[in-house]
Amino acid sequence: MLDLIWLVPALPLAGATVNLFLLGPSRPGRRLGRNGGWLATALVGLAFAVSVGALLDLLAIGAEERVHVTRLFEWITAGSFSVDVAFRVDPLSITMALVVTGVGALIHLYAIGYMEHDPRIGTFFAYLNLFVAFMLVLVLADNYLLLFVGWEGVGLCSYLLIGFWYDRPTASSAAKKAFVTTRIGDAAMLLGIVLIFVHLGSLDFDAVFGEAAGGLTQGAATAISLLLLAGAIGKSAQLPLHVWLPDAMEGPTPVSALIHAATMVTAGVYLVVRSHVLFELSGTALTVVLVVGLVSALYAALASIGQFDIKRALAYSTMSQIGFMFFAAGMGFYTGAMLLLVCHAFYKALLFLTAGNVLHGMDDETDMRRMGGLRVDMPVSTVWFAIGALSLAGIPPLAGFFAKDQIVSFASTSDRDLAWVLATIGAFLSALYIARPLFLTFFGRRRNDSHAHEAPGLMQTPLAVLALLVVAGGLVLGLTAEGGRLAVFLEPVVGAVEHGGGALSEGTLIGFSVAIAVAAVLVAYWVWASGRVNWQAFPERQPELAGWLANAFYLNALYAWLVQFPGKGFGRALRVVDERVIDGAVNGVADEVGDASRLAPTIQRGFVRSYALAFLLGAVALLLFLGLRIV
Amino acid sequence: MSADQLVFWVFAPISIGSAIAMLLQRNAVHAALFLIVNFFTISVFYLVLGASFLFAVQIIVYAGAIMVLFLFVIMLLGVDREESLLERLRGQRVLGIALGVGIALELIVAIRAGVGFATHAPANFDEVANRGGNAAAISAVLFRRYFFPFEVTSILLIVAAIAVVVLASRQRPSLARATEERATDAEAA
Amino acid sequence: MTTPISYFLVVSAMLFSIGTIGVLVRKNALIIFMSVELQLNAVNLALVAFSRMHNELDGQVLAFFSMVVAAAEVVVGLAIIVTVYRRRRSASVDDLTVLRG
Repeated sequence: MLDLIWLVPALPLAGATVNLFLLGPSRPGRRLGRNGGWLATALVGLAFAVSVGALLDLLAIGAEERVHVTRLFEWITAGSFSVDVAFRVDPLSITMALVVTGVGALIHLYAIGYMEHDPRIGTFFAYLNLFVAFMLVLVLADNYLLLFVGWEGVGLCSYLLIGFWYDRPTASSAAKKAFVTTRIGDAAMLLGIVLIFVHLGSLDFDAVFGEAAGGLTQGAATAISLLLLAGAIGKSAQLPLHVWLPDAMEGPTPVSALIHAATMVTAGVYLVVRSHVLFELSGTALTVVLVVGLVSALYAALASIGQFDIKRALAYSTMSQIGFMFFAAGMGFYTGAMLLLVCHAFYKALLFLTAGNVLHGMDDETDMRRMGGLRVDMPVSTVWFAIGALSLAGIPPLAGFFAKDQIVSFASTSDRDLAWVLATIGAFLSALYIARPLFLTFFGRRRNDSHAHEAPGLMQTPLAVLALLVVAGGLVLGLTAEGGRLAVFLEPVVGAVEHGGGALSEGTLIGFSVAIAVAAVLVAYWVWASGRVNWQAFPERQPELAGWLANAFYLNALYAWLVQFPGKGFGRALRVVDERVIDGAVNGVADEVGDASRLAPTIQRGFVRSYALAFLLGAVALLLFLGLRIV
Repeated sequence: MSADQLVFWVFAPISIGSAIAMLLQRNAVHAALFLIVNFFTISVFYLVLGASFLFAVQIIVYAGAIMVLFLFVIMLLGVDREESLLERLRGQRVLGIALGVGIALELIVAIRAGVGFATHAPANFDEVANRGGNAAAISAVLFRRYFFPFEVTSILLIVAAIAVVVLASRQRPSLARATEERATDAEAA
Repeated sequence: MTTPISYFLVVSAMLFSIGTIGVLVRKNALIIFMSVELQLNAVNLALVAFSRMHNELDGQVLAFFSMVVAAAEVVVGLAIIVTVYRRRRSASVDDLTVLRG
């Protein structure tokens, strides 16, 4: 099965092709489109099965040799530059592949019901499959160039899917914004890849990570790492390239769940963990990762609290959670980052899909101020959301608790006290910002008149599976930091977990984490659900603070302003060039030709004498020429 | 000053003067007459240069036949018709005169470069070239070395005569009208 | 002969250029034709002068042929001018603009 790993990206790719070209976009009334959805889901499910098979084969091999590279064909050979299309099955990549295909298949299933009435459902599933294919290429690639292919591919699919309802101007501009913003990171990343080749002569992971210690100076390693990090920052929506993520919520909710919660945005984390050898060679880069993660986490937490759109609130929460993953990686706690990545995939997908239920039931209403008390009409969804939210908040024994607690504990054992304090604050805020939509939407007084209806069974089934994963996942995968199954599994790739000695004992730390989480949930309940705090008056009472929170500290406005000036100036300059220089040249040539052709007939007016004059002119000139040669 | 120098310096100004005068006449008959004067001066030059046969032929053929023919045609076309002084083509006059002067200068420069202003003719022309008199000497060259061109020119003269007869004959009235119409159509197009 | 040959050549050059100016500047077809004759004569003069210079009679023979051909040409040319005049009632070359492009 290990050699068949190429099937994993190939199956969804086939699905995309079929849906795009053979089944075609469906029109209302044609059932074909929905069948395209079943086909797409089945193919991703099949890919998941192959991945499981590969996992089993991998487990059969001894722990130290769990790397299997399948070379498909030679892709580029140009002199000393040689890149193959090769897929790598090792613990890290198979973990990612399982998450992508597993959660992906569940979201595909959900989307069949969610997108049922959309006329372009066939195209939707084609794009969704294409995305999964590219994401799998990204995580299974054995060299940086193939990884970059997948990287770009998911960026493309993100653009296609955010702007899926292209007739909405907000959607299409959000898609463009996403593409352009991540482009900045991608360009830096490409430079980093080039540098890798320049210094180490190869892009294959084994070669790069093997030669890195000897072949790279610290400065080179820092440069490469920072450039790769730039790409990761863009793709994972961390500061300062995060502005596209909240706007990306314009896409359909399954897209938000799959791409912007569970998988694509975690690609940055995967890149950092995969390249950890390079990052460790340069100590500075790792610190930068840490700082970026922590600052993004706190920034996004505060922003999330200020959002009234439920999807945007969840988007900022994603950014914050990924910030935690970067934070963990920055401390060298790669297994912790990966555990959070996997658990986050589960509960964030759950949260987003439940939000999809709410949108489905509330006729696409997203403003939480117009929700409230929905647990009466949508009890099942309330349960799902509660499970997801409490997991994120870090309430044991849900998955999120293990991941988050391990990270915060790890921080406490490192020498970075400030980091630990900030991480703890972040943990508190994260519990707060996720409990808020839970209470605003499902609890409290009803603020809407319409009758919300629960989602159908087809949409609830994947949610049930996800909820199960959230409940059980932490226990299964990450019971402890060193001994958890995932940590042990990933050890050959990322190294063992090294705890520093801590001042506080394990039990104290756990108790502290739980206490913070519970406190935050209670505070959230009191503010937003109990009715005792007039949270609706907050924007009027404190318009400035509310404004800062709601507009995410006006970073969007700042960027717009920064881009505007040179952009407009450049545009104006170009316009001048276009009109005066280019048009001037072209029109000038045309005018000259016109003038010349007006002049031309004057030679042939029919007067014999002017012809004679012309003869003489030529004769005189010729004689002159000959004469000058003699004299 | 020797005889030929005197002759030269008298007739050269007359030659050039009559040529310029011919140019400046508005009346065609006057212009023709000045040209005849010019031909006479040229024939004198021929004489000075030792070409006595050509001296005679020039007068007989050019002044006597060709210019007479010219005068016939001028009479035919209307003696009193005078050419208008208005020059319709811009720059024609200026350029024409300028280029004419330019040609003259270039030729003079060529003469200086090729022959040199001081070259004299060899003195033994009469013994070497004109043996037996100019006419006899010319006939010796003409009917021996240039016999073939001589015959060709006679054919040329016959052809010219035929051509003139054809051109000048009046066409049948219907044909004339048809040709006239075609000409006016071509003009209008 | 004591006059340098080049003097005759200079006279010939000047006559030739006067003839050229005549061709360009005058509008009457007959006068243009006369100017052409002037040019031919100038050339004949040059031929004879060179013949004298080289002590050969070839130049004179060539001048002779030139005269013959000039005579034939004059005849035909005048016939053409007459024909054109019959057509257009005008002897000015400026009226012959059918070749206008």
